[in-house]
Amino acid sequence: MSDLQQEVTNLIYRESTLLDRREWDDWIDLYTEDAVYWVPSWANEEETTDDPELQLNLIYLRNRGGLEDRVFRIESRDSYASVPLDRTVHVVGNVLIESENGDEIEATANCIIHTYGKKGGLTRGSLYDFSLRRVDGELRITRKKITFIDDRLEGPIDVYHL
Amino acid sequence: MDGSIVAKDVSALVDDRVDEGMFRVDRSVYTDEALFEKEIDRIFEKCWVFLCHESQVAAHGDYFWTEIGRQPVYVHRQEDGSLKCFINACSHRAAILTPFRRGNAKTLTCRFHGWSYKCDGACMGIKNEEPNTDKSTFDLREIARLDSYGGFIFGSLSPDVPSLADWLGEAKPWIDLMVAQSTEGLEVVPGSSTYAIDGNWKFQAENAVDGYHVSTVHRVFANTIAAREGKGEYTGIKKTEAGRMAGGVPTGCYDLGNGHMAVWAQHTTPEVRPIWEQKERLEKDLTPAQVDWILTKGRNLYIFPNVMLMDNPSTQIRVMKPLSAERMDVSVYCVAPKGESDTARAGRLRKFEDFYLTAGMATSDDLAALEDTQEGSLATGAKWNEFTRGMDSIIYGPDKAAAALGFNPPACTENWDHEIHYHGFYRQWLKMLEEN
Repeated sequence: MSDLQQEVTNLIYRESTLLDRREWDDWIDLYTEDAVYWVPSWANEEETTDDPELQLNLIYLRNRGGLEDRVFRIESRDSYASVPLDRTVHVVGNVLIESENGDEIEATANCIIHTYGKKGGLTRGSLYDFSLRRVDGELRITRKKITFIDDRLEGPIDVYHL
Repeated sequence: MDGSIVAKDVSALVDDRVDEGMFRVDRSVYTDEALFEKEIDRIFEKCWVFLCHESQVAAHGDYFWTEIGRQPVYVHRQEDGSLKCFINACSHRAAILTPFRRGNAKTLTCRFHGWSYKCDGACMGIKNEEPNTDKSTFDLREIARLDSYGGFIFGSLSPDVPSLADWLGEAKPWIDLMVAQSTEGLEVVPGSSTYAIDGNWKFQAENAVDGYHVSTVHRVFANTIAAREGKGEYTGIKKTEAGRMAGGVPTGCYDLGNGHMAVWAQHTTPEVRPIWEQKERLEKDLTPAQVDWILTKGRNLYIFPNVMLMDNPSTQIRVMKPLSAERMDVSVYCVAPKGESDTARAGRLRKFEDFYLTAGMATSDDLAALEDTQEGSLATGAKWNEFTRGMDSIIYGPDKAAAALGFNPPACTENWDHEIHYHGFYRQWLKMLEEN
């Protein structure tokens, strides 16, 4: 395995681990200030929306502040949907580097997310599209697109369920 | 009889003694499966039910598959521009005829045995047809009534319903306030979300017009937005305003008759609403009261029994599909004025995503609260849900805000923390269970 493949894989593993272990601040630190976090909605049974500005998304955060909102809400302990917090396990695989251009890297991965909460255990799936950038020697996330394959959603969905 | 409460006196489920300061509902109305079957039979299959928006079936051949109660139906745009709605089941062996929830097909061919139907429902083809078959006996069954108001399409399985306009009644001026937001009409924006709720449909009806929960359940939303605004990241129309959530602004709640209900609250920063860019146009075309209601009053409207129209803080169609006493599906759509600027459209969508989705930061909390009330309703050891707030403030007829706009609610109060609008809902519910 190339050094870059290892480095990208480690970053993607790290992100999921931080979510599952609820280390929110360290999780956010993996993202650059201008990072875009995008979960399109389904336009029909086979296609998601593809224009995040002018079509409906499940989540569309145009910079890291949007992720900070989510963490603020979780940590407030005042969100009905987030108390008690669901338990989650992300299992990431199929990490592929799609392109490398200087400090900019595109990678994809798949994730099975098992969650446990009031409704019992639920298993969901996500396709990840990452844009990564090397900043001060470290790879950071500048864009994460999550194609959440579940459509008829069970229970509240937050960043740690995806 | 099956021993359920339906076998007893349904009227005992609603303790309606407003003159004595009491209105309460037996919690078993949210859990009793036999009662739910009666609701499907006597309410959902006996009255006007929202189907879809006209923009979702705009062109000849466009179809939209939905349900009336639990019965699958589809709305189909005809060649002459009119609409028809059919039971969505092949006349032969019941397979659903539409491959997608929404699509375009000028004829429909059943994917099971290949029977085919024209847009107008006529059976046009039977694979390996046997001699002397009269295909017309297999024409699709059209639903009894279909009509639309302001682009919102409703259907009824029963022919014995009033005109749609009469049924909507005092809810019409509220729909008008949405429709007036564009001279070109409204459109459903691409994308939607459907979520399953472990909860009774009446809890969703209640929650949609529950002003009282806002300052508790959505306190965290208001605080999150306040923290965001402190960072100055979202400005202008893309800002989500949350001022009214803290309370202390003018509000109102209305029993609109026929089970319809509504609430409003004053916007503290109406200039960040997407509609604000049309202020001058609205002032030219509409009455001052209509303009005031559109621009400054965030509004939630519930139309009995299955749809909610929200203009607060974004614009939403929320449709319920009851599945059992303790389960429903809810689908949400962003409905927006055609022709608005890209900036306004983006602002509208971002507010929608912030608030109105189970992946957002407010509807998710509503969902959790709703499912808790469902679980709590099994507590028959304490059997009543109270709807008594505001009993001493009831205005029978219009308050000042209603009089200005020109609608005439049977009852209202000038406070959305109140619960008197639910009386109308449960009276309609009981009436239909008793009469039909």
